[in-house]
Amino acid sequence: METIDISVYSLLLAFLLLAVPVILSRLYGLDLIKPLLTSAGRMTVQLVLIGVFLKYLFLWNKAYINLSWLIVMILVAVFSAIRGSSMKPGKILVPVFISFAIATFAVIFYINIFVIRLDYIFDARYLIVLGGMLLGNSLRGNIIGISAFYKNIKKDTKRFLYTLSLGATFNEAILPYLRESVQLALKPTLASMATMGIVALPGMMTGVILGGTSPEVAIKYQIMIMIGIVVSTITSVFLTIFLTLRVCFSKYGTLNQDIFI
Amino acid sequence: MIRYEKIKLDFDGKVIFNDFSCEIAKGEKVVLLGRSGLGKSSLFGLVLGFVEPQSGKVLFDEALVDEHTIWHVREKVAFVDQDVSLGDYKVSDWFSFVAGIKSNHVLNFSEERIGELMDFFELSRDLLAKDISDLSGGERQRVAIIVSVLLERNVFLLDEVTSALDKNLKKKTADFFIERKDWTVVSISHDAVWLDNPNVKVFDLEKKTWKQ
Repeated sequence: METIDISVYSLLLAFLLLAVPVILSRLYGLDLIKPLLTSAGRMTVQLVLIGVFLKYLFLWNKAYINLSWLIVMILVAVFSAIRGSSMKPGKILVPVFISFAIATFAVIFYINIFVIRLDYIFDARYLIVLGGMLLGNSLRGNIIGISAFYKNIKKDTKRFLYTLSLGATFNEAILPYLRESVQLALKPTLASMATMGIVALPGMMTGVILGGTSPEVAIKYQIMIMIGIVVSTITSVFLTIFLTLRVCFSKYGTLNQDIFI
Repeated sequence: MIRYEKIKLDFDGKVIFNDFSCEIAKGEKVVLLGRSGLGKSSLFGLVLGFVEPQSGKVLFDEALVDEHTIWHVREKVAFVDQDVSLGDYKVSDWFSFVAGIKSNHVLNFSEERIGELMDFFELSRDLLAKDISDLSGGERQRVAIIVSVLLERNVFLLDEVTSALDKNLKKKTADFFIERKDWTVVSISHDAVWLDNPNVKVFDLEKKTWKQ
């Protein structure tokens, strides 16, 4: 079973569908035309580039190239996470990068070695594609988790200081905020897990099925990747919070105010 | 008990203290007086390690307050903040929260003890089942005071704890703290029940000196 290729002309017909949001935006003054076209344009350019890039990546399939590319992807994810958190990048860049890298590498190599049992664990098809899915899907949870943790402590300054004044240790004082932010971070992933297959066919499955693989294989991959996403999300949120504590809090256990933009 | 030595403190370029020194002896009852922005709360924050001076030092019980000793100091001081609250919890949760902190495990947070104090401060015992956010300002102040008393500490930093109480309760509350000889009490207040009490020393932050 071969996937039917879409010609460039046909793809233009797909773009024609965008007329719907454009017309709606015109009629109701939604101010969406410019952001819509910019985003669609960016998406197209980025995907064309990555399409070409992946073609060569799969062709060369060298461990150091694949690993370097995965690190670039982690860096991009780190920058998006920090931008979404409204915290100053300078202070938290390194700890967030280390956290994301550990979480992604640990899960992906576990999968490649023990689950898929690849002979060549750096295979671009698995390393890059699965790595991208882990990063892309745990990113939202990460942003929610990290920013909730610091924003809530800032918002609750009085309560947080009161807790310290009661004789709480630093770990005792941050524990409620840690719990809350990790729960929040996992919420979107857990919600999409619970409705998986019924409400939405996930991208991974759509891709694999269109690619000619049987649905039986596709669901096994989907189950594996969802578990991977949960694990990498919770791992990276925990690590990020623990590794940023040193820079974000003073030695007196109070939140540094200069960490926010 | 608490000694400020040559403190220099500023926030965002605004000078709060410059070469400020002051000592509060063990067992003294002190009121800090002055309009807002003069650094009354900062004086509490300095003891509790919530603000760090640019220079100068704070001594608590003859020991320098620094990043190592601060955790010990916080176990010795009972701090009642202005409208402190735990958020969306019940009043009884407030007590369990404080009792749940490891360094407070040895304390007596029994229903009986809490009940006695609630009676003294004229709070109905039904209050325990209420949401903290549903309490009036005066009720919340009294719950916070009761919590501070349950901590069984000997140094009290009280930020406007009587402001929302009625006349009789103001007196009763101030006297409750002033009458205990072994307690060192520092209170930020404009209430006459503190200021006019002969056993209370008043520190005027306007002039940075003791009022005669």
